[in-house]
Amino acid sequence: MKYGILFTVLVVSVLLAGCVEQPKETPSGVEEIKIGVVAPLTGGASTTGLDMWQAAVLAADEINAQGGINIDGTSLEVKLFQGDTETSREGGVKAVTKLITENEVDILVGGFSSGITYADQVVAAEHGVPFIVTGASSPVITKRTDIDTSYFFHHCPTTDDYGEDTLLFVDEIVRPAINERFGFPVDRKLRLAVLYQDSKYGEGVYDGIQKAIAEQNLSVEVVAAEKFKMSETDFRTVLTAIKAAKPDVLYPAAFVNEQALIVAQGRRDVGLNTIYLAVECNDDPDYYSGVERWGEYSILESRFSPYAIPAGAIHDSVAQYRQDFENKWGTSPSMMGASTYEGVYIAVDAIKNAGSLDKGAVREALVNLEMPQQIEAMEGGVISFSPDYRESKFKLYMEQLIWDDSIGETRPKIVWPDSVKETDFVLPDWYEPGST
Amino acid sequence: MDFGVLIQMIVWGLYAGCIYILLAIGLNLIFGVMKVVNFAHGEVLMLGAYAAFWIYTFSRINPYLVIPVSMLLIAILGVFIERLGFRPIMGTGKLNEIFLSLGLIYVFQNLAALLWSADSRSIHSPYSNVVVHIGAIKLPLDYLIIIVVTIVFLIAFQLFMKKTTIGRAMRATSQNREAAALMGINVERMDMLSFALGSALAAAAGSLWLISGQMANPYMGAIPAVKAFAVVIVGGLGSIPGAIIAGLILGIGENVLPYLLQAFVAVFHVEMSFTAWKDTIAFFLLIIVLILRPTGIFGEKGE
Repeated sequence: MKYGILFTVLVVSVLLAGCVEQPKETPSGVEEIKIGVVAPLTGGASTTGLDMWQAAVLAADEINAQGGINIDGTSLEVKLFQGDTETSREGGVKAVTKLITENEVDILVGGFSSGITYADQVVAAEHGVPFIVTGASSPVITKRTDIDTSYFFHHCPTTDDYGEDTLLFVDEIVRPAINERFGFPVDRKLRLAVLYQDSKYGEGVYDGIQKAIAEQNLSVEVVAAEKFKMSETDFRTVLTAIKAAKPDVLYPAAFVNEQALIVAQGRRDVGLNTIYLAVECNDDPDYYSGVERWGEYSILESRFSPYAIPAGAIHDSVAQYRQDFENKWGTSPSMMGASTYEGVYIAVDAIKNAGSLDKGAVREALVNLEMPQQIEAMEGGVISFSPDYRESKFKLYMEQLIWDDSIGETRPKIVWPDSVKETDFVLPDWYEPGST
Repeated sequence: MDFGVLIQMIVWGLYAGCIYILLAIGLNLIFGVMKVVNFAHGEVLMLGAYAAFWIYTFSRINPYLVIPVSMLLIAILGVFIERLGFRPIMGTGKLNEIFLSLGLIYVFQNLAALLWSADSRSIHSPYSNVVVHIGAIKLPLDYLIIIVVTIVFLIAFQLFMKKTTIGRAMRATSQNREAAALMGINVERMDMLSFALGSALAAAAGSLWLISGQMANPYMGAIPAVKAFAVVIVGGLGSIPGAIIAGLILGIGENVLPYLLQAFVAVFHVEMSFTAWKDTIAFFLLIIVLILRPTGIFGEKGE
């Protein structure tokens, strides 16, 4: 009896392990470029990781369908390898080690969560493997001095970028709207509360906010700055304390599940009827469904939205990407996938320019890269990396979430900057400002 | 610090404490009767939350009416866990029980991720816009209901344990398994019932957690489970009143202490946020309790 049950448990466990959706690696060719995709395919961030992997596969399929890359008369196919970080630092180190030593990849793309990438990039640095980071936003990734970061290229906005653009918008649009509605003096400073994740990412956003206020000389004062630990689910107490500080605006630096709970608990439970700002990683279908109507009129900083396409040069390519992704995977693409999709193209372009798979040559090619923007708007319309810390520069925009009765969810409308604006920012009737 | 703010924080602590208490009492019951520590108890909470979510999604009835159905389903699951998992290895060594329950964590998490993906799920309470004013405190009606429902569950549980034949039999099994068996009590049936009841209480905790605006995902059970273990240990292994008091200490402590600490260091002109340390502070408090009283508040020597 006991052995029967033990056998059954073993069989069920093996079946379960085998049944969990494991995306397949691309078929092998004789001559190939090996790209390691570092993403959380299991664990808490597996939804984001799967999107990154699917976007990378779409890019590789497109490149291979066009004959791959020709180097010295040899046609090379792109072959992707999975590096599952398991949404943990230890998993990240294991994944990058496996990609480099076992799969012998030529280049790495991906990396979600600054904390995980901070840990696993050490392995890539030791082996001198170029790494195009498309999901970890802390600027520390290319600025830390304890390892050689010269092989790391940041292709996603950093937390400094979020803070700067979001606060420019708040100072330019939200602050005057509040002052006008409530008859405050024109020069009244906006009272900002920050609630940030106790991680590289959260600390990066908070640093970016402080830098933006100082460097841009913004009329904004931070009246509360509170931290929470990653994956926290109960924000009622900290939001009660923030409400007591009487802010005009709350800027959480949180991931999707955390952000949706902060907004919902803030408005529903604590009665903090303010404007909630959000970092771009929350521009995800899960956020729209999770935050429900509590997210109405909140602000999302973005560069690739599942539900909005900014006007301009990239409009058609974004629509095409979205359609191709949906056709291939039967689901909507999200932001981390968009930059990973571009990351694969960047990797291939660099190898083509290098004319070799030599890692040093590929690194040099990345340093000198200049390729047209693809599905995310870039400064100057070109993807290139800054000479100092190898960061590409995105054009960010602000969306305001508006309730859509027909869908039963909010949908974004771009409200800033003027070049891509769809509608004006709305200060809702229920909004309550901080003290004068 | 504003006194009104402090009171409001205590109320949030009471709510959190209710969830910990329900979870801890289930753990305590299973440990008391079977002397087994089920590390996968948090995953039972998670499955209870998912059960509530799916029943609500398909029926669209008032989410509070979903709770008994979720409890019943998870109680049945608890019976299966006991019959197929723990019973075959009972008496073969504590390590076997520990590794079985640790293995169940991964089985349940992966099963949930496989069946329902890692996406978060939520329930919209019909009372989410209703706020009750109790003096200076504004309390959303859902939280008041959760506190009342928890009290009702605790009273019903105490009555069941003290006034019914089965409850008395479970207590007898908990006190002395061999003596209970000699008195004609079917101790294996008591094991099964304790697992069913403990799992049902975890399902109630998961369902109430979801209705209060939290989200269900495959990994949601880990942190509440750790806190429930702390509550059990501080309250005293096997003690129900201990679990209630320790649950309230933990819930209120983790919500209020970070702010008292912040106010304290502010006296020395130090600005520091302790909110991210709330678990650390709460567990530090629990360590102090254990140093002062190693058997827990209501624990007995040698337990």
